[in-house]
Amino acid sequence: MHSHSRFNCIGVRNPWPFFPILFMLLSIRLAAAQGNYEIQVYGADTVPPKNLMVELHSNYTPIGQTKFIDGVYPTNHQEHETLELTEGINDWAEVGFYVFTSEQDGHGVQWVGDHIRPRVRAPDRWHLPVGLSLSTEVGYQRAVYSTDTWTWEIRPIIDKTSGRWYFAFNPALERTLHGPDVKQGLGFSPAMKVSFDFTPKISGGFEYYADYGRLGAIDSLHDQQQQIFAVTDLNVSPKWEINFGVGLGPTAATDHLIVKGILGRRFDWGKKSAVD
Amino acid sequence: MPAPIWSATAPDVSLQIAPCTLEPSPRHHIRTVAYNGQVPGPLLRMRQGEEQTIEIHNGSDDREIVHWHGLFLPSDIDGAMEEGTPMVAPGASVRYSLIPDPPGFRWFHTHTFAGKDLNKGQYSGLHGFLMIEPRDNPGRYDREVFLALHDWGGHFEGGDDGYMNPVYDVSTINGKMLGFGEPVRVKQGARVLVHVLNSSPTEVHWIAFAGHGFQVIALDGNPVPQTQTVSMLRLAPAERVSAVVEMNAPGVWVLGEVRKHIQNSGMGIVIEYAGASGTPVWRQPENLIWNYHQFAFSAKPVLQEEDAARIDLTFDSKFQGHGNEELWRINGKTYPHTDEPILTAGRRYRLVMKNESMDDHPMHLHRHTFEVRQVDGGPEIAGLMKDVVLVPARTTAEVEFTASNPGRTLFHCHQQDHMDRGFMMVFRYA
Repeated sequence: MHSHSRFNCIGVRNPWPFFPILFMLLSIRLAAAQGNYEIQVYGADTVPPKNLMVELHSNYTPIGQTKFIDGVYPTNHQEHETLELTEGINDWAEVGFYVFTSEQDGHGVQWVGDHIRPRVRAPDRWHLPVGLSLSTEVGYQRAVYSTDTWTWEIRPIIDKTSGRWYFAFNPALERTLHGPDVKQGLGFSPAMKVSFDFTPKISGGFEYYADYGRLGAIDSLHDQQQQIFAVTDLNVSPKWEINFGVGLGPTAATDHLIVKGILGRRFDWGKKSAVD
Repeated sequence: MPAPIWSATAPDVSLQIAPCTLEPSPRHHIRTVAYNGQVPGPLLRMRQGEEQTIEIHNGSDDREIVHWHGLFLPSDIDGAMEEGTPMVAPGASVRYSLIPDPPGFRWFHTHTFAGKDLNKGQYSGLHGFLMIEPRDNPGRYDREVFLALHDWGGHFEGGDDGYMNPVYDVSTINGKMLGFGEPVRVKQGARVLVHVLNSSPTEVHWIAFAGHGFQVIALDGNPVPQTQTVSMLRLAPAERVSAVVEMNAPGVWVLGEVRKHIQNSGMGIVIEYAGASGTPVWRQPENLIWNYHQFAFSAKPVLQEEDAARIDLTFDSKFQGHGNEELWRINGKTYPHTDEPILTAGRRYRLVMKNESMDDHPMHLHRHTFEVRQVDGGPEIAGLMKDVVLVPARTTAEVEFTASNPGRTLFHCHQQDHMDRGFMMVFRYA
């Protein structure tokens, strides 16, 4: 992996946007109801072939939705653990697989759902001035965690490293495949990240996640989801990814406080000699 | 610079610097700059000690300079701005004379700044072979073959250590990718003296010749104390190896980079025996094997060593962000702020190079030849004369040289991106 490896799968990533879309589309956004299972802004780089990236996303919502909405559990004090496995296919493609779980008082530890996420990127030989990648994700989640049980997302990824600065932008589009919102069209959920290398091993910055509602029918600010995280990345080794952040949601439709952490380890399983 | 020699007579050597398009294969076209419209440039042969007039015309859009790598020349024509050699302006010409010395396999190349433009400086096609024939040539060989290893189409990517490094799309031998150049045609039973130059701007290369071994007789053009037959060669940027190959395995073979991904990028050439045909055969080695020690004498404690004045040089880098190349430092300073140690003519010096960085560095001393005394963490050695030595990451290497050529003398890492980021210093004579 190269310079962006520390951001690989750490980028602006919120593959769990169906909760906010659900509430937006149903216009019952009583309070924040964002399902935060994997909170990450994607970088454009992909996992190299014969490499497996194993990541554990741990997110806790100290201040979130406290009510049941359409049979969906409240997010307040939910602890989410998501296992993400990403395998490199070649030098421009990878595929990721997710196992989402949730733990909450009264509900115990529960399996939430699974997603699969193929991703391609512009090969290095194109010599583009920015990193460019396209991710698509499809998956299932149980109805007690999302009334829309099958969803699809397409996520363009643009990033750029300039000196000590790093920028990433993920203008994601989402669609429900099965559930109440199946006829609601595409939702727009951009995310972005700006960080600065304080030292070779420590970077810090901000990640922004939003859900503006449907394309062509953007929600009012009150009903939009907006969340900003202060984050740090620890680049202790090319094999490890460590990200930690605290996020605030200022709008009524957003969980107001979330703490997130990502711990990743890359495994090189290919038999590799010095001549490979 | 000495007064230019303007004469109606033709120079002994004429170098025309001009843009050209290199075609490593029919699918690859690289716009670059070259000497006399060819990559590598013309093979220059000179006789040791016989004065040569050189004329350089710069037909490119940038100021240029020609460095005569491995020669004992005055600073003003050695070919480094840092030593005081003037650059040649676009459209201008310069003419001067030089006396070729020492004998052996040398080369000439540009010595300009490239920075983030990975088509300039040593990333370009501005390099060529220079063979300085000794007054007496004891070589036992039937013919010579010159091979230049080069990498093209560079772009910066982050390395595993988080720093930016150039990576390349195309790798060539003598400007061609494997399978697209003319084969080297040989006769069974011939002794071929192969001169290999690594002109890559930044990359170390490993070369093997399927079905054959290399009897290494010289490194950087200087005869080795102990010739050895090896299965592969390792050449850091700017290093040269001269080796005799006994052509005793008829067939069609590949001579190429040992590492698969680089050979797949094109670094290879076909060697074809007379009367043989068929698909070129490659036998993939499983390991990378090379060390300097096998060609040197085991050193005994010598008085000379005590006489050598020690100069400690510590190499490290200063982080500039994951999206930037690091700044390189010698004793904590980056060129042009590096120290300028003062040498006394006739005195012997020992450079103790402590590489504290995560990268290997091919260190080159201009206008002198040094003796490698310690490298790769191995025991003390003697007799191995070179002008470039690869100092592996996190190790210390020691070389000795005699200050025998007064004038400003550049010492630097031969990786273009490292030079550009300040990995240079100048020795001055008292």
